[in-house]
Amino acid sequence: MAKLNNDQVGAAIWIAVGVAVALGSLRYGLGPLDSPGTGFLPFLAGCAIALLASIGLTLSTLKQRKGAEWTPILRGVLWRKPLLVIAALCAYALLMKPLGFLLCTVLFIGFLLRAVEPQRWPVVIVGSIGTALGAFAIFNLWLKAQLPQGPWGF
Amino acid sequence: MDYLQSIILGFQVALQWNNLLFCFIGVLIGTLVGVLPGLGPVAAISLLLPTTFHVTPVSAIIMLAGIYYGAMYGGSTTSILVNIPGEAASVVTCLDGYQMARKGRAGPALGISAFASFIAGTLGVVGLMLIAPPLAEMALKFGPPEYFSMMIMGLTILTFLASGPMWKALLMAAFGLFLGSIGLDNMTATARFTMDIVELSDGIGMVPAVMGLFGIAEVLLNVEHSIKRTVFETKIQHLLPTLRDWKDSLWAILRGTVIGFFLGILPGGGAVISSFVSYAVEKKVSKNPEKFGAGMIQGVAGPEAANNAATGGAFIPLLTLGIPANSVMAILLGAMMVHGMQPGPMLVQEQPGLFWGAVTSMYIGNIMLLVLNLPLIGLWVRILKVPYPILFPMILLFCLIGAYSLNNSVIEVLIMVGFGLLGYLFKKFEYEAAPLILALVLGPMLEAALRRSLLLSAGSPLIFITRPISGILMLISVILLAYPLVPWLRRKRAILPQVSDEE
Repeated sequence: MAKLNNDQVGAAIWIAVGVAVALGSLRYGLGPLDSPGTGFLPFLAGCAIALLASIGLTLSTLKQRKGAEWTPILRGVLWRKPLLVIAALCAYALLMKPLGFLLCTVLFIGFLLRAVEPQRWPVVIVGSIGTALGAFAIFNLWLKAQLPQGPWGF
Repeated sequence: MDYLQSIILGFQVALQWNNLLFCFIGVLIGTLVGVLPGLGPVAAISLLLPTTFHVTPVSAIIMLAGIYYGAMYGGSTTSILVNIPGEAASVVTCLDGYQMARKGRAGPALGISAFASFIAGTLGVVGLMLIAPPLAEMALKFGPPEYFSMMIMGLTILTFLASGPMWKALLMAAFGLFLGSIGLDNMTATARFTMDIVELSDGIGMVPAVMGLFGIAEVLLNVEHSIKRTVFETKIQHLLPTLRDWKDSLWAILRGTVIGFFLGILPGGGAVISSFVSYAVEKKVSKNPEKFGAGMIQGVAGPEAANNAATGGAFIPLLTLGIPANSVMAILLGAMMVHGMQPGPMLVQEQPGLFWGAVTSMYIGNIMLLVLNLPLIGLWVRILKVPYPILFPMILLFCLIGAYSLNNSVIEVLIMVGFGLLGYLFKKFEYEAAPLILALVLGPMLEAALRRSLLLSAGSPLIFITRPISGILMLISVILLAYPLVPWLRRKRAILPQVSDEE
């Protein structure tokens, strides 16, 4: 059997999403048509997603028969870099409260400057500390955003 | 209140020192995000929305609007000097702008682009002032069915103009509607799909969604490659266009203004599409169409005028009907709601100071941009030379702070990161995020209009076609949706330019 192409894979996932949304909406109640219930619109949206994805699946299957194949989405790109960025973002979100804004930001910027496209250490140190202090001054001191404080009070 | 009194009132508001300051900050930041590739007005407005919580609503709207039209000015600088569009609406400016720079005419290209932006931006505001109040009056006659049909038409137009297969764009819109339904039901206050997460009771925030889909996803795509930008190394001189340049550009500017303004009004239209249409028109009316792409000044003046006029036009459906014409307007709608305002037909009557203050501030903002931009070109060039590996951590940090400071919640940050990943996958699988955002914002309004209409009609969906205005709007939507069945229409859509996510 020929390998599925990108649109076929995408459409299959969307069909599952659409069906899940439509089924999930049923527990909120669709209500009668003259007084639609809480689940009415999400149910319609779920059905629309599944229907459109089915159309997409049919069209991409026809294309597959004409030779449209799977195109690797990560070929020729430095895919480890986006992965590092996502990991850094998740770590920042989880650590910003326990560590506090300043320390967490220094580590975050320092990591990105050093790990993604490696910069010289002086650039990393000055860049991370300078950016953290600058952002703290603008957002915390000037704009009064309540950024999280760590156990050290900053 | 007649026009003159309204304009005087507007200037009284716009000329207050704090509003002038916020207008200045807005246009300056707008120019900056326009200059910087990979950071558009959508992300910038979302990012700065939380910073406006402490100021008056009118100052906030003046600043956020300034970012939008300021970005249109800034985008051309990068297109002309680096051959990379600073933001989506400046894609076309690369074609002739960069060629002009290569021929030693970077100065006139930057100059005419600034003047064209100023003329079109100002005329666009005049159009906005003339059309918005009567349209708002007419919109008072709209009921839930008309609003529902209008929103459906907006979504349909956006999906029609989106690049790639239409089923993907419609699917994104449907997914956006589902995401918009997460949270408390407006009518019964029942929680939907919240998974017992308190932060989801108010629904998925538009700001984390937009910053994730546009800001984070863009960074993820950019870091996949080692980006090296080459800023055109030339001495930029003679910024003021010559008489010959003016003669060549004047009609292009005026045509671009008209095209941009009217395409800007259309829900789903906007700055990107109007700049492409303007370029196509200029090429068509030119005596030397073969020279386009080799440094024709009309190819810079027309599209730059069009994308700036479109910003004025885009405010019309937002301020008069409460319906955003594109993603930027969708965020502005959200911003106005955060500040306790309800854009729509009553806005002009109930809050004339805010309406006219915001509109007249755009005149002042356009003058500021003209005065600022030409002397600051050296600064923008220096900023463009900051390497991306140093710039992107700061963009990410601003996104993180923006998402967190909305509700001081880590959940919002995680939602943003989730949308970033989703946006990255959408790009990889060629799904456009713009219909999703518009549907996410319109979702709750659309649902309310749908349910009220069905209540009114005792459950008959015919109400959407038997009422004349609603019927016409629905007919337009059906025609657009039926296009794939008509081969010659499909061929026409295939040549439409790609509408970027930044719209």
